[in-house]
Amino acid sequence: MRRYESIFIIRPDAGESDISEIIGKVDATIANDAGSVIKTDRWGLRKLAYLIKKESQGYYVYIDYAGLPATVKEMERNFKIDDRILKFMTVKLADSCSPEDIARETAKAKSSAPSAEDNGRPDEEFDGPDYDSDDTDE
Amino acid sequence: MAPRKRIFPRQKVCRFCTDKKLAIDYKEVRTLRNFVTERGKIIPRRIYGNCATHQRKLTDAIKKARQIALMPYTGPTQL
Repeated sequence: MRRYESIFIIRPDAGESDISEIIGKVDATIANDAGSVIKTDRWGLRKLAYLIKKESQGYYVYIDYAGLPATVKEMERNFKIDDRILKFMTVKLADSCSPEDIARETAKAKSSAPSAEDNGRPDEEFDGPDYDSDDTDE
Repeated sequence: MAPRKRIFPRQKVCRFCTDKKLAIDYKEVRTLRNFVTERGKIIPRRIYGNCATHQRKLTDAIKKARQIALMPYTGPTQL
């Protein structure tokens, strides 16, 4: 069981049901190969750093899970087919993950969920220093 | 050519070696943004004094962040 994390970006105009359906499918793919989801984090709508398929905003979802390489391949294949998903990226965190590691991480993720979720979630847009006075957006 | 006009610092210590809590993660755009110019280019190691290992990790993190549209490839870093 390897430990992976995946981030994927869904179109901003997808409804809540669409998003839940996509996440449900991902969970099913992971569970199919006896993997386990450690943490699911929805970052929500976020401005993209560059236009992807003419969209300037996207709904980010972050999933931390343990699974087999075949699981990742299947997941990415599904992402590629689905039109609502703009981009995806999978990163391998650890080569091997024992069941007690998984249990520990799941518990840690659950316990830190209600508290400040700043660890995995990138900062929202704030009015940082004005690099240019030209319009940088759009 | 870095747009910042600075003399090369004498004995700059690597920021990540001294402060172990600073994690290099592609998801933490706020930290990564400090190591990138206003146009979005990665600042060379001699300006900041990072050690080689951390500069490599930093570059990897910035490139990953660019892939997932958390940071731009070029253009003003919006945040």
